[in-house]
Amino acid sequence: MFLTRSEYDRGVNTFSPEGRLFQVEYAIEAIKLGSTAVGICTTEGVILAVEKRLTSPLLTPSSIEKVLEIDTHIGAAMSGLTADARTLIDHGRIVTQEHRFTYDEPLSVESTTQSLCDLALRFGEDGRDDGADAMARPFGVALLIAGVDDEGGPALYHTDPSGTYVKWMAKAIGAGSEGAQTALQEAWSAGMTLAEAEGLALKTLKAVMEEKVSGENVEVAAVTAESGKFEVYSKEKLLACIGRL
Amino acid sequence: MDALGLLRPGASVSGLPAAHTPGAATGFALGDHAGRAQAAPAAEPGVVASTASGPLQRRFQPYQNNGGTVLAVAGKGFCVVASDTRLGLGYSIPSRKVSRILKMTDKVVLASSGMQADMLTLHKTLRMRLVQYQQTHQKHMSLTAASQMLSNMLYTRRFFPYYTFNVLGGIDENGEGWAYGYDAIGSHEKVSAVCSGTGQTLIQPVLDNQIEFKQQWGAPKVDLSLEATVELIRDAFTSAGERDIYTGDFVEICKITKDGVDVEEFQLKLD
Repeated sequence: MFLTRSEYDRGVNTFSPEGRLFQVEYAIEAIKLGSTAVGICTTEGVILAVEKRLTSPLLTPSSIEKVLEIDTHIGAAMSGLTADARTLIDHGRIVTQEHRFTYDEPLSVESTTQSLCDLALRFGEDGRDDGADAMARPFGVALLIAGVDDEGGPALYHTDPSGTYVKWMAKAIGAGSEGAQTALQEAWSAGMTLAEAEGLALKTLKAVMEEKVSGENVEVAAVTAESGKFEVYSKEKLLACIGRL
Repeated sequence: MDALGLLRPGASVSGLPAAHTPGAATGFALGDHAGRAQAAPAAEPGVVASTASGPLQRRFQPYQNNGGTVLAVAGKGFCVVASDTRLGLGYSIPSRKVSRILKMTDKVVLASSGMQADMLTLHKTLRMRLVQYQQTHQKHMSLTAASQMLSNMLYTRRFFPYYTFNVLGGIDENGEGWAYGYDAIGSHEKVSAVCSGTGQTLIQPVLDNQIEFKQQWGAPKVDLSLEATVELIRDAFTSAGERDIYTGDFVEICKITKDGVDVEEFQLKLD
């Protein structure tokens, strides 16, 4: 494998003779090393749940943030190189605010996702006229983007380093994604309530996590159709959730 | 004259901030255009008269008023946007059949009076933005989105404005009819009836009285039907056409309902 790839695995601009971009594929591999994140979409809203790896008891758990708000109606969970995700989320925050400024309306979930993917695809380009720096490599992160909008109600999108996005009803990313995705496929149903989705998300996470689920090592967030707002659960709300498991 | 007064329809449109000597030509008032400068009879247009052998001061006069009256009246579940089609210039009528109306979507219609060239450019830019929005977001622009975008587009030209006076009308996300009135630099207001352009002073008080029931103390406020609204608009334009030389020829009346935009034409006097 090493021999066949060695010629073509350096440049992000060069296809291999088999028609592959190895740097992009490696970036997708990087996500499989990341902590697990799951997203579940229901008619009532979307749930995001992520695992936080607390590598040391001396580490302050609240300093690890893996679920972030993009706009009041959209949030994202991440897996992979989380530093890269900040660049994407910051970009998302800018475009959603710019859209509100220009059109006095929230940006749709799909348009937000599309704009993040446009950015993710800029690897291999030279710096642009507007001063944006050239990217040395693809982003090594996958996002689960959850939101509500007037067009389609609650929606969940998955983006990867290739700049592809797909809409899902339930999706798992990260190290435990294979097992988690199987579990979601078996348990997800169209008539699920948000409370049921919340339980399923935590149960799925619990099954693939090495440590015992606690208020410290998971993060849960929800966006509901009723309120139209994205909210990362407080410690109290999270503990109540875990208590219901 | 205050800065905004300069931008009101019917106001004298002098050149952009330039040295202004007393007794010199003040640009041109409505009714004037290049070649008809009246304020300084001796000077050729755009030239500020000076002492016999001194230097001539030339001023940039980028604006022209082509007149026209536009209005929008909102009702229960509908909105009517109307404009006459006369293109005026000084005492001439270069054209009797020029549309000032842009159908932005099936639910949003814009009418612009003021300077024809600026209106054309504004409408052309708007058309482009509408297509880009539709392609980016896979939906048609809502009335509120269009109203905010128009305001921003006008304000980006804050220091060299489009000489246009716009009214926007349509049906919003909730199926309600609304009208928006603008000044030349994007200041706007969401109202139920608004008129702009050369016939503004003649028609706006009538709309205030008949739509908002202003000055009708104690009279119960009733919502006009679409038919009654159109009838009122026909009367308003007929009357404005009697007194305003820049309003006449034809009126285009756009009736916007949930089923789309229906346009009817109404004849005014050609004098």
